[in-house]
Amino acid sequence: MEKIPDQLGYLILTEDGAVLESGGELENDERVAIIITDLISLSNSIDPVAFGPEEKFKKISITYDDHWFVICISNKKIYVVKRSIQSSPSESIAVNV
Amino acid sequence: MEKELDKVVEEIMSTPNVSGCLVADHQGLCLASKGTAHVDSAGLIVAISEQASKIQPYVKPPTVCLETDDKICLIQRHGTITGAVFKQKA
Repeated sequence: MEKIPDQLGYLILTEDGAVLESGGELENDERVAIIITDLISLSNSIDPVAFGPEEKFKKISITYDDHWFVICISNKKIYVVKRSIQSSPSESIAVNV
Repeated sequence: MEKELDKVVEEIMSTPNVSGCLVADHQGLCLASKGTAHVDSAGLIVAISEQASKIQPYVKPPTVCLETDDKICLIQRHGTITGAVFKQKA
């Protein structure tokens, strides 16, 4: 998890929200762990018309201005990564000009 | 009164790959919905956006993106209004 580019912090949780592993800015952050597990249980029952009963979400991202959280579930564990948003190289060139 | 909102919803629906759109107030009451977005999910969408803003309560509410294999649901809150856009992956 530490090798993920632009990573600011990470959490690995059990399905009930207990912290298994953590690091960076999210180290032992149980508050965020609880919020995220609640968010996952909320998102399980979204729109039955737009998303069929067989369609389960495979990724949730929460995007702020300068960073974002990516949430995935694999092998009954919840993986959360906080990543910073780098401005694209073309933008920085534009600024320099 | 809803004309402006309907116009925005129409505009969103005319964007490529958009299959549905929903706008709700802070209580989870549906203000407008079109396409595959169901009125009943307004409360849930507002709850998701509220839950996500709890991570960092003092900054601008984030955009939440829920992805399945071929569909995306984008949720964003602006003041008391929450909007959701359902898209097909390009």
